[in-house]
Amino acid sequence: MVRVYGEPVEVQARADGRPARFVWRGRLYAVRSIAGHWVVNREWWRERDVPAQPELEFWRVEASAGQGTSAGSYELRRDVAAGAWTLSRVAD
Amino acid sequence: MTATGPVTGFAHLHVASSYSLRYGTASPVKLAARAAELGMPALALTDRDGLYGAFKHVKACADAGIRPLLGADLALCGGGARPVTGRVTLLAASRQGWASLCRLVSAAHAASGAPAAGPGDDRAGAPAVTQDLIAEHAAGLVVLLGPASDVGLAVAARRRDEAGRALARWRQHAEVAVEIVDHLEPHSTFRAARLAELAAVAGVPAVLTNAVRYLDPVDSLAAQILDAARRLVPLGSPRLVPHNGRAYLAGPADMAVAAGRVAAAMTVPRVRSTALGLLRATADLAARCALDPGADLGIGDRHLPETQGTAAEQQQELRARCEDAILRGRYRSAGHRPRGTSRRLAAKTARERLDHELNIIAHTRMAPYFLTVADVADRIRERGIRCAVRGSGAGSFVNHLLGISAIDPIEHDLLMERFLSPVRATMPDIDLDVESARRLEAYRIIIDAYGAARTACVCMMETYRARSAIRDVAAAMSLPPDEIGAIAKAFPHIRASHITAALGELPELRRSRLAAAQLATVFQLAQQLDGLPRHVAMHPCGVLLSDTTLLDRTAVQRSAEGFPLSQLDKDDAEIAGVIKLDVLGVRMQSAMARTLTEIRRTTGEPVDLDAIRRDDTDTYAMIQRSRTIGCFQIESPGQRELVKKLAPRNIADLIVDISLFRPGPVNSDMIGPFLRVRHGLAAPRFPHPELRDALEETGGVVVFHEQVLRIIDAMTGCGLSDADLVRRHLSTEDGPRRTEPWFRARALARGFDPVTVARVWEVVAAFGGFGFCKAHAAAFAIPVYQSAWLKRHYPAAFYAGVLTHDPGMYPKRVIVQDARLAGVEVLGLDVNASAGEWRVDAADSPAIRVSLREVKGISDSEIDRIVSGRPYTCLRDFWERARVSRPVAERLVLTGAFDSLYAPASAPAPERPTRRDLLARVGVLARQDSPARPGPAPTLDLFGDAEAADGMAGLVPAGQLRELEPDERVAAELEILGFDISRHVLDFYADLLAGLGVVRSTGLDDQENGETVLVAGVKVATQTPAVRSGQRIIFASLDDAAGLVDLAFFESVQDRCAARLFGSWLLLVRGRVRRAGAGPMAVTVNATECWDIPALEEIRLASGLAAVRGAMATGDVGPGASPSPSADAGAGAGAPPVPDPDWPGMPFSDADDPAGGRTAAARPVVFANGFTLSPYAETGSPGGSPKNPPRTLWHASPGSTSPPP
Repeated sequence: MVRVYGEPVEVQARADGRPARFVWRGRLYAVRSIAGHWVVNREWWRERDVPAQPELEFWRVEASAGQGTSAGSYELRRDVAAGAWTLSRVAD
Repeated sequence: MTATGPVTGFAHLHVASSYSLRYGTASPVKLAARAAELGMPALALTDRDGLYGAFKHVKACADAGIRPLLGADLALCGGGARPVTGRVTLLAASRQGWASLCRLVSAAHAASGAPAAGPGDDRAGAPAVTQDLIAEHAAGLVVLLGPASDVGLAVAARRRDEAGRALARWRQHAEVAVEIVDHLEPHSTFRAARLAELAAVAGVPAVLTNAVRYLDPVDSLAAQILDAARRLVPLGSPRLVPHNGRAYLAGPADMAVAAGRVAAAMTVPRVRSTALGLLRATADLAARCALDPGADLGIGDRHLPETQGTAAEQQQELRARCEDAILRGRYRSAGHRPRGTSRRLAAKTARERLDHELNIIAHTRMAPYFLTVADVADRIRERGIRCAVRGSGAGSFVNHLLGISAIDPIEHDLLMERFLSPVRATMPDIDLDVESARRLEAYRIIIDAYGAARTACVCMMETYRARSAIRDVAAAMSLPPDEIGAIAKAFPHIRASHITAALGELPELRRSRLAAAQLATVFQLAQQLDGLPRHVAMHPCGVLLSDTTLLDRTAVQRSAEGFPLSQLDKDDAEIAGVIKLDVLGVRMQSAMARTLTEIRRTTGEPVDLDAIRRDDTDTYAMIQRSRTIGCFQIESPGQRELVKKLAPRNIADLIVDISLFRPGPVNSDMIGPFLRVRHGLAAPRFPHPELRDALEETGGVVVFHEQVLRIIDAMTGCGLSDADLVRRHLSTEDGPRRTEPWFRARALARGFDPVTVARVWEVVAAFGGFGFCKAHAAAFAIPVYQSAWLKRHYPAAFYAGVLTHDPGMYPKRVIVQDARLAGVEVLGLDVNASAGEWRVDAADSPAIRVSLREVKGISDSEIDRIVSGRPYTCLRDFWERARVSRPVAERLVLTGAFDSLYAPASAPAPERPTRRDLLARVGVLARQDSPARPGPAPTLDLFGDAEAADGMAGLVPAGQLRELEPDERVAAELEILGFDISRHVLDFYADLLAGLGVVRSTGLDDQENGETVLVAGVKVATQTPAVRSGQRIIFASLDDAAGLVDLAFFESVQDRCAARLFGSWLLLVRGRVRRAGAGPMAVTVNATECWDIPALEEIRLASGLAAVRGAMATGDVGPGASPSPSADAGAGAGAPPVPDPDWPGMPFSDADDPAGGRTAAARPVVFANGFTLSPYAETGSPGGSPKNPPRTLWHASPGSTSPPP
C-alpha cells in the first residue's frame, strides 16, 4: 500500500548525493539501501518565471526508524534549485 | 569539472546538434568547443535523419583541435508501411563508411517518400531505414544499439530472450556495439545494467554514451519546447516523455560516474573493472572511427564533372575556343573600340589578356570548370531562356569569349584576379541569372544533362526567428491560437534574439500591451530558440555539379519541388570541392522576355536585346529625368534620387551608380565628393600621382574592389592576385590591424613618403569590406540599361512584361499609374480579350490589358479554359463553357469583364444589364447548374445580341438592379485585382484634400526647402534601410495619382506615427520639404505627423472641414490611435522573411532629423571602422534575390510590422 505525503523532511546526504538519514515527524530514519534514483524536470511552464534549474531529484530508499523496527520503502524528493527535501510517498 | 577520469580518451559517440531539426539545441561549433574544453580527444556528430551538420562539425572540430566522427541517428521500421520500431545510431568508421552513410541516409529519405519538409518524428512519411537497408550499406559502418533500438526496447520490456534474438540478428548484418545510456530517468539505470549484461553475455562490445542533445542541463527547457513543437502537442501532454536535464555534453568525470552507477547495478563480480571496461571500449571505438577530413571525407580535393581528355587537352580546348572567338571578332571590344584604336591593336590587347587569363587557369587547373559552366550556359540559352552572368565572373575575358558573360572586361576595365587567382585555393563563383518563371526548367536542363549522380540542388536551413519562435513557444505553453498569432505578427521580421530589445525600442510595439508579465516567459524562451534550424528548404539558386562520386559525399533527399536536394548547404559545397553554380531566377529577366514576346507579337520586330547599342541618348535622357519606375535596380526612391544627381550618360556611369547605392559608399561618405568632382564643382584629388590610373575613373574616390586591388598593388608591388587576398583579409574583423604593418613597411620600402602612406592606408582600411565589385556592378548595369531601353522604346510591351512578372519593389498599382502617366492606356478585364498575362492591346494608341491572373482566386486551369473557349457571346455561354467557379465568375462580373459583351452598340443603355444584374444572373445560373448541365448548346453567333443569346432577360431583366457607382467599382477592383483601374482611389477624397490644401507630388518641386506641407496618397512602400547614423529611419512612399511622394520618418516622430503609418494605407502626412543639395533634386518630405484619410473623411462628412482641422490638431483619429495587436491580420503571414534587394542604403544622416536627435536607446550594430547600423535595418544583398511578395497593396519591408489589409 502506497501513501502519498508530500511533507518536508530533513535529509542528511552523502557527498555523491545519496541520502543517508532523514528526519520525518520527529523520528530519525536510517537509509539501508537505495532502490531507485531518477531525475525529472518540474512543470516549469506552469510557473511564473523560467527556472535556471528545473530538476527534481528522486530517491527511493529502504529505511527504518531504528533497531528492531521493520524497514519500509520511502520516496524522497529534492528540489535541486531550492535544495529542499520532501517525503513524497511511503510504501509499507 | 576536471578531466581526470579513470580512463583518458573518453569521447561522445552519440551527439545531436541543432541540425537535428526541432530536437537538438546546440550548434556544432559550440559542441566541438565544449568537447575540447572538457579535454576530450574526439567528438561524434550523429544528427537525426540527416547529415546537414556534417561538414560544419568537421570544420568545428578542426578549429577546436579535436578529431571528428560522423554518423546519423535514424528511425528503424519494419519495412513497407509498418510503423517505426525504434532508432539506431550509425557511425562511419572509414572513407568507405562515410560513403555508406551518405547512401544510407539518402535511401532512408527515398524510402520515406517524404518531401524535404518534415522534422520527422515517429510520423508516417518521416525518413526511416529497415534492417535490410542497413545490411545493404553496412560496409564501414558501426551500428550502435542503444535504449531506443529494438534490442533496448525489448530489454526495457523485460523480454530478455527477445532482446537476445534481436541482437543476434543485427550481428548477422553489420558490425554492432551495444550503446549504454543512463539519463537518470525512472528505471533507466536498471535497464542500462540489463542491456550491458546482455552485451557481456553475447560477447558484443558495449560503449557508454550520453545521447547528447544540448550543452548544459538548463538547455533542456528549450529541448522540451522543441519536443512539443515537433509533435504538435502542448507541454505536459502525456504524449511527451518526461524530461530532465541529463542529455547534456557531460565531461569525462561525469561519464565515469555514470559508468560506475550502471556497473553497480549489474550482477557482475567486479564493479570497478566493469565500469572501466565500458569507458575503455568507448574510447577505443572513438579512436577507431575518427575520420580524416582529407583521406576519408575528400575535403581539399576537387570533384569536377568528368570532361573529355587529359588536363592538358582540356586546357588546349579552352584555348582553341577562346582564340576562335577572338579570330571571329566575337567580343565587344572588337566592335566597340575606343576612338583611335585599330582593329589590330584591339586584337593584340585581347590576345594578351587571354594569355594572362589562360595562365591563371592552367595554374589553378580550372579549365574543366570553365568548360562545364560554358556548357551549362549554352544549354540554358539553347532552350530560349534568357541567361546573364552576375558577380565577379564578369571580370573574366575567358567567360566573355566562351559566351558565358555579355560583359567584355576589357571594355570596362575589369580584373580577372577578383574572380580567380592562383593564390586562392577556393573554387570561383559564377552566378547565372535566368528568367525567374523558368528557373526550375533551367535546373531540369542541368540535371538532365549531367545526371542525378553528378548533380543536386543545394539545401538551406530556415531558422527560428522572432515570429516563428514566439509561435512555437506560445503554442507549447498552451496560449490560445488567436492570441499566439496576434503576438507573433506584432513583431517585425527580426531575429529571435532581438525580441526583448525590440519590445523596448520599436515604438509600434512599445505602445501595445505585449510587454505584460505573463508573456515574459514566452519571450525569454523564444529568444533561446534563436537561429535554430527548423525546416529544410531548397536554396533558391544553388546547384551542385560534381563527378559521379557525388552520392558518396553527400546525402540527397527529394525537395518539395521534386528535385534531388543535397544535404550540403552553400558553405559546405565549397569545402566539399564541387562546383556550386548559382542559377538565380530573376523576375526582370522574365519581364524582359515577356516584353520581347509582346513586341514580336504586335509588331513582328525581332529585337535582339543583347545586341542593341548601349549608347542610346533617349534612354539615358529618360534615366536622367529619373523616370525609372519599373526598371531593374534603379526604381527605388533612393535610386531615383541618385540617378537624378548623377545623370548617367553611359554604361560606365550606370556601373558607378549601382556601386554607389550601397552601405559602403554611404559609410565612407563617398557620394558627396564623387558628385562634386563629376559635376566639375571640385577638382579630382589623388592621394599620390601613382594612384591616378587606379582612381581616375571615379575622380579620386574609391568605389570599386578593383580599385582597392590596384591601390594595394601600386603601393606595395605585391601583384593583383595577392592584393585580392589582402582585400579579402581587410574585411575580417581583425584584418586591418594585422595588415597595417605589412602595408606600411612595403610602401615605405618602395619609396612612398610616410604622409602619403598614412593617407592611403586610411582610405584602404576604411574601405574595408564595404566596397563593391565592379564586375558585379557591370553585370547588373546591362539589365538596368536593357530594361530602361525597353521602357523608353516599347513602353506598352514593357509595362505588360513588368506587370506580368512583377519584378520590382512596387505594388502593381504604382506600375499601373506609371503606365498611365507615360501615356499607355490601361484597359480593364474583358473575358474576350484578357489573357493569362498582361498583353499589349493591338490598337493604334499604346494600351495594355489586365491579365486574368490578377483576379483573386482564379486557377491556372480556369484561365486556360477561358482563353481557349473564346469568344463568348453572353454570360450563359461563358458560364457553360469556361466552367469557372461561382466566386470567380462573380469577381469577373464585378470588375467589368462582361461589359463589352453587353456593349451599347448591341443594346441601348436602358436595356443593357448592369453589373448587379449580371451578378444576379450568375446566381441564377449557379442554382440551375446541375451535374448534367442542361440547356441548349451555345450558339456562336458573334453578331447576335448577347442579351437575346443569354435568354435570361426574363429571369433578371436588364436594368432591374442599380449599376455600381464609381467608388463601388474602384472598391471592387481593389478587392479583386489589388489595384484601381477605372479611377484613382484618391479621387474620392478630392474635396477633403483640396480643402486641407494638400500639395501633390508634382507641386513639391516648387516648394521651398524647409517649408511645412501636407501631402497625401496611397501608401505603396515602407522601408527601414541601413543608414549612416545607425538610427532606424522609416521611409515610405505615397502614390498621389500625380506621382510618388517620398517620406522619411525619423526616430523622434516614430512614437506618434509608427503605428498609424503601418496600420493605414491612405495617409495624410504633414512634414517639411527637404531638398538634397542644389539644382533639380528629388524632394523628400520629413514627416512630423500622419493621419488616416478615411477616418478624416468620416469626420468631414459628419461635421465638416473645420472639425477635421480640429481633430488633426488634437491627435487621436482613426487606426493607430490605439493600436491593438489583434487588429493585425497581415498578409503573408508565415511566409519566410525575404531579403529585399533594392534598399541597401541611403545617403541620409542625423542632420536631417527634423526634431533633432533620437529618443530611444537603440543598440546599433557598430562595425570596426565606426560604421553603425540599426539592428532593425535591412541589410539584404543588392540584386534580385527571388522574391514573392504577399498580395498586398503596398510593399512592406521585413523590417516593418505588417499592416492589416
